Amino acid sequence: MTDVAQTTAQAPGDLDERSPWRLTLSVGFLALPMLAFLSIFFFYPAANLLFYSFLSQDAKGIIGRPFTLSHYVHIAEIDLYLRVFWNTLQIAFVTSIVAIVMAYPVAIVMVKSNAIVNRVISLIVIAPLIVSVVVRAYGWQLILVNTPTGLLNWLLLTLHIINEPLELLYTKTAVVIGSLHVFFPMMVLPLASALGKIDPNLEDAARMLGAPWWKVFARVTLPLSIPGLVAGFTLVFSLTAGSFVIPVLLGGTSSTMLGNLIEQQIFVVYDWPFGATIAVVLVIVVFAINALSMRILEGRRFRRIAS
Amino acid sequence: MSGRLEGVGAWVLYCVTAAMMIFILAPLLVVMSVSVSDSYFVTFPPQGFTLSWYAKVLQDRDFLDALQLSAVLAFSTTMGSLLLGVPAAFALVRGSFLGQSFLKSLVLSPLVFPALVTGLALLQLLSSFGSGDARLNLLIGHIVVTAPYVVRTVVSSLQLMDINLEEAARTLGASRMKTFWRVTLPQIAPGVAAGSLFAFMVSFDNYPISMWLANSEYSPVPLVLMRQLVNVFDPSVPAMSTIIILLAVVGVLILERLVGLRRAVAI
Repeated sequence: MTDVAQTTAQAPGDLDERSPWRLTLSVGFLALPMLAFLSIFFFYPAANLLFYSFLSQDAKGIIGRPFTLSHYVHIAEIDLYLRVFWNTLQIAFVTSIVAIVMAYPVAIVMVKSNAIVNRVISLIVIAPLIVSVVVRAYGWQLILVNTPTGLLNWLLLTLHIINEPLELLYTKTAVVIGSLHVFFPMMVLPLASALGKIDPNLEDAARMLGAPWWKVFARVTLPLSIPGLVAGFTLVFSLTAGSFVIPVLLGGTSSTMLGNLIEQQIFVVYDWPFGATIAVVLVIVVFAINALSMRILEGRRFRRIAS
Repeated sequence: MSGRLEGVGAWVLYCVTAAMMIFILAPLLVVMSVSVSDSYFVTFPPQGFTLSWYAKVLQDRDFLDALQLSAVLAFSTTMGSLLLGVPAAFALVRGSFLGQSFLKSLVLSPLVFPALVTGLALLQLLSSFGSGDARLNLLIGHIVVTAPYVVRTVVSSLQLMDINLEEAARTLGASRMKTFWRVTLPQIAPGVAAGSLFAFMVSFDNYPISMWLANSEYSPVPLVLMRQLVNVFDPSVPAMSTIIILLAVVGVLILERLVGLRRAVAI
């Protein structure tokens, strides 16, 4: 033990007798406070919530045994809940796809332009991330209002593009627009960092060999940026699926999402086991998307090693 | 990828990018322009100019209390996140022990969990404890979601740092503490700063945790604003929102000056 300590030439007179092994282990203990904190206030309550989703609530509102799967069956059987479930998936999916389509141009321009343009775009993309989602959804309310005095309707009517005001607010479209606005940075940033890692010579080579720009994109840029794309998709999908504020402020009754249903069950109906069940369903959706993206990325790595 | 953009493709890209920038800024600019409009109801085109809504907001006790609560909460959350997150980041980078990568995914797991569910789970726990102080509950909930950000930014700084400098300091006779304060900390300072500012802002804007843990006495700014929007429409909401936007702009500029934005966000 002392041998090792001497050869690593530690400072004189200070903990020399410690071997590197003991040192690295003791550094590991520094994670204990956070681990303990998360265990009490995150892992335990999350596990407890899962447990709650199997409990039943009697007529007096007392929660306890017997264990039951009836809440899960309830979600699958009742049209209203099923519709909310599909709404959530649909809104999260459409938002992520639109985000991908819109994020590619922005990320490419970010990576390929000079430092000033890059900085301005970064600032505009990132800054709203720090503005409360309530404020941003409120801004969209003002733009999308269904009366002729809403910004978008007023603009379109003044320019004579439409004759009747559009019904945009309180629709799924409005929820997608709001979610896109709030989570767009989560798509652009991973995509830009993936694009930044692509060797420009590959694209130049393709171009020199006569490939048109769209073919260069489809055959070189797109495949090489898949890791960023998958990361962005996962983030945007997960975050949109867990929305609460946006569907409340921009969606109507037809665009209720899982988050709203959970809040209703807890604060209005006081049905904790059922609220917990919907929360578990939401977590399963998010975990499934994360697992799927992990598999896609690992599959790619395997193929690269194999080839 | 440093090749120049040329041809038709380039124009398409620039146009879409410009359109997205307008898309991103539009709702914020709309809120700001409406906040100085003279009419009770929001209409386009905006009518008149007045700062009276700001005068009203600055006398609104509820809003000022919420602002104070949010600021104190965000500050305490940041301190708590640093106390837990910085040592954890050291353990993850400097330690080498079994299950280290598992530990890392555990510590970062609140970032992938829907925050709404984190808040709900915590409400259940805290109400079964009978912990009635909403401020303490909010603090705990916010630290759960912000400490992982600190871990992430500090881990990436530690990985970038040159460990030889520490060894040099130690060889030259500096004590462990002195090495930490004089060599290690200055090198990871940008990561710590980015993590702190990010934790502060995430806490300041948090809705999905606060919605469960706040009560009518202690409500942070986003909840107060939401209540105004959903229940009774208060014409000073645009002014309140503008104040929040301006605070965020200040935060972003500080972040940009101190550490650079891209690094701070580290997605």
